[in-house]
Amino acid sequence: MSSKRITKELSDMGRDPPTSCSAGPVGDDLYHWQASIMGPPDSPYAGGVFFLSIHFPTDYPFKPPKISFTTKIYHPNINANGNICLDILKDQWSPALTLSKVLLSICSLLTDANPDDPLVPEIAHIYKTDRPKYEATAREWTKKYAV
Amino acid sequence: MASDEEYSLQFDEDESDEEVTALYESRNTSEFTLPDLICHKHATIISQESEFDIDDDEDDAIHEYEDEDDEDDNDDLLALPITMSTKKALSEGSVPNLKYECLTTQGIYERMLKRIHHLQPLFSIPPDDILILMQHYDWNEERLLEKWTEKMDDLLEEIGLNVTSKKIVDNTNSNTRGLKYRKDFSCFICCDDKTTETFSLECGHEYCLDCYRHYIEDKLHEGNIITCMDCSLVLKNLDIDQIMGHASSNILMRSSIKSFVQKHHRNYKWCPYADCKFIIHLKDTSSLGEYTRLHYSPFVKCNESHRFCFHCGFEVHAPADCNVTNAWIKKARKESDNLNWVLTHTKECPKCSVNIEKNGGCNHMVCGNCKYEFCWICESAWAPHGKSFYQCTMYNNDDNGKTKTTSTEDAARRLKRFTFYYRMFNEHEVSAKLDWKLGQTVGIKVKALQEKIGVSWIEGQFLSESIQTLVEGRTSLKWSFAVAYYSDPSHNLTKIFLDNQILLAKAVEELSELLLTKQPEAIMKKKPDFYNKAGFVENRRLALMECGRDLLCKGICKPTD
Repeated sequence: MSSKRITKELSDMGRDPPTSCSAGPVGDDLYHWQASIMGPPDSPYAGGVFFLSIHFPTDYPFKPPKISFTTKIYHPNINANGNICLDILKDQWSPALTLSKVLLSICSLLTDANPDDPLVPEIAHIYKTDRPKYEATAREWTKKYAV
Repeated sequence: MASDEEYSLQFDEDESDEEVTALYESRNTSEFTLPDLICHKHATIISQESEFDIDDDEDDAIHEYEDEDDEDDNDDLLALPITMSTKKALSEGSVPNLKYECLTTQGIYERMLKRIHHLQPLFSIPPDDILILMQHYDWNEERLLEKWTEKMDDLLEEIGLNVTSKKIVDNTNSNTRGLKYRKDFSCFICCDDKTTETFSLECGHEYCLDCYRHYIEDKLHEGNIITCMDCSLVLKNLDIDQIMGHASSNILMRSSIKSFVQKHHRNYKWCPYADCKFIIHLKDTSSLGEYTRLHYSPFVKCNESHRFCFHCGFEVHAPADCNVTNAWIKKARKESDNLNWVLTHTKECPKCSVNIEKNGGCNHMVCGNCKYEFCWICESAWAPHGKSFYQCTMYNNDDNGKTKTTSTEDAARRLKRFTFYYRMFNEHEVSAKLDWKLGQTVGIKVKALQEKIGVSWIEGQFLSESIQTLVEGRTSLKWSFAVAYYSDPSHNLTKIFLDNQILLAKAVEELSELLLTKQPEAIMKKKPDFYNKAGFVENRRLALMECGRDLLCKGICKPTD
């Protein structure tokens, strides 16, 4: 049943793509997708394109998809391995959510980081104490890795 | 509804007992310096114990105990009755009037239901809704009531019990709570188009029953409130049972109670024994500080007769207190890699060097090859052990004469000292396990007794009682090595403690050996011996316990590193 749902999400994505995101299967494997997110214009990630790898579990949508960044990014909630700290990817997941909604949430995480629940405490600290320094570093990384 | 008593056992003692314990405590806290005096006190308590009061007039052992009673007639303690629980509590080094109860998750849940029933007039909403509120506030009644008075309606909305108009999906005929039957329903979750039963709450988020079941099944064991898949509206227990087709909400409630127990770990503790489902609830934790100060340990017993320390969750570790126990375990873990199993499993016969595996608790070994009798612990001949003082618990500090040592020598000596005590601890742990195994066969022995010589069940009980005494004795002996390790060896009280340790070790070995008797007739014949030896073990154990507490109270035993 999970393949039916994933197929439906894929066709919905093609018909009505979310703004500044795109996603689709890698090769023939319906359970392994790749997605790209454009850095939001009002963030230090503007101008960058970030790639993500997505794995759907077999009991999708009852379990959340596994999503990680493959492009390096400087962000308090995303670590060096590309893992994302986002509640809807963990205990707040609901079967009524879709990949497109999740990607939009990741977009808004890029605009508004959540430094109080950090995955990388060092970045969160800089984010809270020296915002210009954080923005400069994030911009630098974007230029270096995502353009 | 089942009554409280069905799920909980009250361990409260009645008033007269409390008087006794108070009296006993006051005596105990006054300064006893002569351990013999303490032994004597305990002996009187033991002899009072009905455990030995079996209808067997021909039994010599009984007469012996009665004789003791006569001697102690002038003791004022005798005038007052002492219950089993008091004696047990004292023997384990815990303050006797520890008030606790043994519960299960189901029992706690039913108690919560009672509370809700009681609170209902305050809320003026259905009990099912109060249940959800309680679940949301981790069963914390005070916090819930506080929030409730603060913002009633907002609270209901916040938690998802009330629907706000803006959240309702405009879908005219699905905005009623409950099951529906639909033709050609397209479920958003599984994307199947089928004729099926569906479920939705007032919000109108409607999904097929298969998807709802899958969703709920995954969440039952988390114990959190389950909401609609697309909004925060709550599924009540009735909804859950309706969707699942059976009383699944009970699983959810029990999971929720489990997290409640984990959150209230100061008052509630799971029995640490494998697969045990009981929870101990300590009603008043304020006394725990007093326990620590007096170096008593709050040992508790669940309804499966598993005994453990409420404070540290470890087995009954008297005479050691929780500090000594923790320090010892930490140290043992650190050092055990190079010591552990090498020391415990096999040994060569000191005479003929054949490998010998120990298969019973008794340390009196007879080599199967050359028939040499030796002590498993010190590996020297057994003969002196039986008659004279049992010397094996003594650590001979050969460096006594030296005054100046370098740091490496010092470290080596410290390690040697630890190795000795650790080995002793380990030996008795292994022996205790083997004794326990032996205990498993006791049932068979008792049965054999009943069939072969027509002994009644009650008369055969002395065997299992002896095993119990033996295991307790060995556990205390085991932990006494931790106390000994951390005690100042030069202090006189330490020496008294070590002497007591030797006496207990001797008593334990004798009882352990006796329990190896195989012929049922021989066992019956030795019944007085069993009583004698078991009684002796118990007496020595109590003496050692009191002695150990003395060391702790006076700061002679201090856990270091």
